[in-house]
Amino acid sequence: MNRIVRHISRSAVVAIAATALIIPVSAIAQTTPASSTSSSTSERWLHVRVTSSEDKTETVRVNVPLEMAEKVLPAINKDRLHNGKVKFNDHDFEGVDLKVLLDAVRSSKDGEYVTVQSNDADVRVAKQNGYMYVHVTEKESHGSDKHAKSSEKSKVEVKVPMKVVDALFSAGKDELDIVAALRALSAHGDTELVSVKSDDNTVRVWLDSKNISD
Amino acid sequence: MILAKLALGFASTIVVASVYTFREGTIRVDVDEHRDGGSHVHFWVPAAAVPMAMHFVPKQHLREASQHASEYMPLVEIVTTELRKYPDTTFVDVEDGKNHVRIATAGNKLQIDVVNDEENVHVAVPLSTVNDVARQLAADAPGI
Repeated sequence: MNRIVRHISRSAVVAIAATALIIPVSAIAQTTPASSTSSSTSERWLHVRVTSSEDKTETVRVNVPLEMAEKVLPAINKDRLHNGKVKFNDHDFEGVDLKVLLDAVRSSKDGEYVTVQSNDADVRVAKQNGYMYVHVTEKESHGSDKHAKSSEKSKVEVKVPMKVVDALFSAGKDELDIVAALRALSAHGDTELVSVKSDDNTVRVWLDSKNISD
Repeated sequence: MILAKLALGFASTIVVASVYTFREGTIRVDVDEHRDGGSHVHFWVPAAAVPMAMHFVPKQHLREASQHASEYMPLVEIVTTELRKYPDTTFVDVEDGKNHVRIATAGNKLQIDVVNDEENVHVAVPLSTVNDVARQLAADAPGI
């Protein structure tokens, strides 16, 4: 009887010792990621930052790992988004056949395709070193008609790798393949994709390997 | 002597049970309303208790909840599975002077913080718990 009690109590001591050892290990296991501020270089993160020009305390920061977005998007089936693809109609682009337009851009040499300079806005669409650039500068006129001076009201700069554009239009005729575009995007290095500077807000969308925005 | 051994056995059982209960961490909810007489709710529960407690929820109620949430449960399941693969990150942070909303992960927990003039809400739930609940609700959804 005594031997049984001794055996039980020895087992209990072993159990307590084991749990005492397990607790710190599990605590470390749970807190280990907390100490890390940047992810491994293979991970690609998409960052969005919106800052109000008037009030600097008004900000929106979004940090999303591309790999996660690739897996999550196909699970969202709502309205026009299905299986990671967005359906669009011809009248969404006012009759412009985007696929034909894109084919024309893809097969053309590097250069500026559209340059518009007016009192209201300057528009530039170009292809260079595997990237497609769209720059739009909206202007504001001051003074009388004759001596009117214009200043920048807003500036939009979009820089997208051509491979991403190709992937985006790789689905059906009336679909944008967002997941394919994200996959193509993840193969690229650190890139600033969108930059918008206006009187109200500053918007930045960029890609890097950090899980924090600067 | 026998009493001491019994006490040791009892204590070790409690320790083992506690470790089992808290192995998945805790769910923490803090709500503070700033208005006069506003409520202040602060509680934490062991996360392991939630999937267990769901077994005691009447099937009919669970089915109703599943029906309402069925559309989003697979999404929640994927998101929580994926989030566990990444280091602690602030995924969304919105500040507009008076309001501050933050969705982040910290130590395998999903943290949602809402701070404004009216109230402060802080919720921290282990990702594994959200995943378990989502999986269970998805499994209980009608037609599955």
